[in-house]
Amino acid sequence: MGILFLALCAAFTSPFVSFALALEVPVLTGRVVDLAQVLPADVAASLTRDLEAHETKTSNQVAVLILPSLEGEPLESFSHRVGTTWKLGQKGTENGVLLLVALRERKVRIEVGYGLEGTLTDLRSAHIIRREIVPRFRTGDLPGGITAGVHAILDTIEGTYKAEEGPSTPARSGGESTGLHYVIMGIVVGTLAGIVLSHGLQRTRAVLGSLLAFLVAQFASVVLGFAAAGVTAILLWLILQGGKGGGRGRGWGEGFMTGPGGGFGGSFGGGGGGFSGGGGDFGGGGASGDW
Amino acid sequence: MGSRISIFAAAMFCLGISGCGYNDLQGLDEDTKAAWSEVVNQYQRRADLIPNLVATVKGYAAHEKETLEGVVQARAQATGIQVTPETLKDPAAFEQFQKAQAGLTSALGRLIAIAENYPNLKADQNFRDLQSQLEGTENRIAVARKRYIEKVAEYNKGVRYFPTNLTAKFLLHMEEKPNFTVADEKSVAKPPEVKFN
Repeated sequence: MGILFLALCAAFTSPFVSFALALEVPVLTGRVVDLAQVLPADVAASLTRDLEAHETKTSNQVAVLILPSLEGEPLESFSHRVGTTWKLGQKGTENGVLLLVALRERKVRIEVGYGLEGTLTDLRSAHIIRREIVPRFRTGDLPGGITAGVHAILDTIEGTYKAEEGPSTPARSGGESTGLHYVIMGIVVGTLAGIVLSHGLQRTRAVLGSLLAFLVAQFASVVLGFAAAGVTAILLWLILQGGKGGGRGRGWGEGFMTGPGGGFGGSFGGGGGGFSGGGGDFGGGGASGDW
Repeated sequence: MGSRISIFAAAMFCLGISGCGYNDLQGLDEDTKAAWSEVVNQYQRRADLIPNLVATVKGYAAHEKETLEGVVQARAQATGIQVTPETLKDPAAFEQFQKAQAGLTSALGRLIAIAENYPNLKADQNFRDLQSQLEGTENRIAVARKRYIEKVAEYNKGVRYFPTNLTAKFLLHMEEKPNFTVADEKSVAKPPEVKFN
C-alpha cells in the first residue's frame, strides 16, 4: 500500500516538475559553455584563456553560453535565471556578465550584473550586439561574432574593478571581521557562563552573610566572565583558522572562484579548467537582439 | 531566590522573543522595503527616459499628437504618485500606483507601435538607442517586481503563520502587504521587441 502511494506520488510529481522548468539551466562546466557546438576547439580555448586572464586581473566574471534552442522560454527571463543560478561575478561587487546565444531563435543577449550596469550599460550592450555581434552572425560567422562580442565586453568593463592584490589580503581582512564577530560572541557567551558560575559563589554569600563574600562573588563573576570570554574567543578563532586553511582563496564568506588549482572544497579542483560563480547577482540589466 | 528567577525570566524573554520571530519579522519587513525601493527606482528610470523619447518621435511623427500626448499624460500621472515604504501598507494607494504605471506601460507600447509606420524614425540612431534603454529598463522593472513579489510573499507568510503571527499582531502591529497581481504582471514582464534590421 505504502509503495503504491509512493509510486503514485512520483507519477504525479515528475511530469509536474518537468513542466514547471521548461528549460533547465545548463551545468556550469567552464567559462564557455557551448551546447550547440558552434565553436572550434581552439576558439573556445582561447576565449576561455582570455576570460580567465581578465578575471585574474579585474575579478570580473564573464561567461558565454551557446544554446541550440530556448525551447519556448522567453530570452530575458531565461538569461536572468542562468546568470543568477551560475552566480557570475563576485559577491559584493556583483560583477558578472553572461553572453547568451540561442541558435534556433537567432537571438542573442548580454546579461549584466548589478555591479557592472554603470559601465556596461544597456546602451553599450545594445551597441556591442548591433555593431560587433549581429553583422558577423549575419554572414554566418558565429565564432567571429562571439569572439568580437566577448572582447568588446571585456574592453568595456576593463577598468571597473581591480582584483585584490595577492590572495592573502582579502583572506586576512575577511578573517578579521569574522574574528571580531566571534570575539563578541565569546564575550556574550562568557559573561553568561560567568553569571551562572557566580551563582554558586553567591550561595556562599548567603551562608557567610558578609560583605567580603559578596565582593568576592561579584569580582569572581567578572573575572570568570572575562576568562570564559577569552577562552571561547580563542577557541572560535582557532576553529576559524582551521576552516580557512583549506583554500588558497579569496576571503571568508565570499564566493569562491576556482582558478587554476584553486577551489574550495575541491569540487572543481585541478586541471585549470574548473570554474564556478563567485556569488554575484543580476538585476535584469543588459540588452537583447536578433540576427 | 529572587535574583535567579529574574535572570531566568530575562533569559526566557529573550528566547521567547527570538522564538516568536521578532527579529525575523523585522528583517522581512526591511527586505520588502528594500525590494520596493528597487521597483520605484526602476520605474523612475523609465519615466526619465520618456521626455527624450517623445522629443525624438515628435521629430519624425509630429502629427501623431494623440499618442504623444497620451504618453506625456500617463507619465505625469505615474510620477505624480509617490508611494513610500510606509504607505505601502495601504492597498488603495498601492492599487493606484500600480494602475498609473500600467497606464504608462500601455501608452509607451502604443508609441513604440506607431514607430513601425515611420521607417526614418526606426532607422534613427537616437531612437534606436532610446528604445534599447527602454527595453533594458522594462526588463529591470520586471526583475524588480518579481523580487518584490517574492519578498512580500515571504513577509506575508511570517505575518500569517503561527506563532509568528502573534508577534506580528500584538507586538509589532504588522499587517499583510498588498502585492502585484499576476494579471498585471504579465503586461510588464513582456519587454518590447527590438529588431535590428
